[in-house]
Amino acid sequence: MSLLTDEVRALAGRTRVYTAPEPFGAAAGRYFGLAIGDDNPLYSDAEYARAQGLPGVTLPLTLVCETNQYAGLPMDHEGYPGHTWGLDIPGTRQVRGGNSYVFHRRIRPEDVVTATWRIEGVTEKVTGSGHAMLIVMSKASYTNQDGELLAENEESLIFVALEKSS
Amino acid sequence: MSITVGQAVPPLERTIRLTDMVAYAGATWDWHRLHYDPEYVAEKKLPGPIVDGQVFGALLVEQLQDWLGPKSFVHRLDFTFRNLVFAGETVRCEGTVTEAGYERIVCDLRVVVVGSAARTAVAPASATVLLGRADGPGAEAAR
Repeated sequence: MSLLTDEVRALAGRTRVYTAPEPFGAAAGRYFGLAIGDDNPLYSDAEYARAQGLPGVTLPLTLVCETNQYAGLPMDHEGYPGHTWGLDIPGTRQVRGGNSYVFHRRIRPEDVVTATWRIEGVTEKVTGSGHAMLIVMSKASYTNQDGELLAENEESLIFVALEKSS
Repeated sequence: MSITVGQAVPPLERTIRLTDMVAYAGATWDWHRLHYDPEYVAEKKLPGPIVDGQVFGALLVEQLQDWLGPKSFVHRLDFTFRNLVFAGETVRCEGTVTEAGYERIVCDLRVVVVGSAARTAVAPASATVLLGRADGPGAEAAR
């Protein structure tokens, strides 16, 4: 049985928009650097950053794609407070496929981020072991309060059927 | 710095402890129990708390930025997850230059788990890095 039902096909084009209630803030970048063990002074030393031609400290590049800071959502029952599509595909397990990031410029502490998420498409394939799987491709575009495009993040979510296709 | 096709990107190795994962959960506003709660992961029949996969993107950028210095800008990064990584494991980011120009390079990258349970965590992966500039093309447009 196909996982690609009319209801699933209709997901394409679904959009969610989140605007952060405040600027990103320098502390968020410094905290992230500390958490991942990245001590690059671009994220913590404004004088060093200015010597490289930057306006001041910037945030680690991938943080905007990893954080839920902008979402302003409550934690769900498993502790997750970020964007999801709330998809429930019966008889499948969900795994993450991967990400494609495009960075247009470094994020600055004063940036107020708006994230626009959109489902770009849904396709069906069969795994090598004969299980049907749905691939949901989403894209987030991150802009700031002046409409500048900061980064883009394409993400694939995969729903693998628990039983083999008949 | 002279960069040539086939040149290895200096590896970055990191042991990801549960403490690091708790810090990462806070820094990214992602407190999903999968990433720190032994009781929850035991219910899911997993061998331990799962490292959030997106941290590998951050480590790959760190690897490239540390190698190429502040006058470089990672413009594109693509990565595909292969296997889960669990608390306490050590990962190594590896890479090779596949295109080398005056203003940009392209690298093939991967993240592997080292040790007794060696496996690939992330592959394929690739990055396009702009050289001779500390910021991206969008910074010029914003001026």
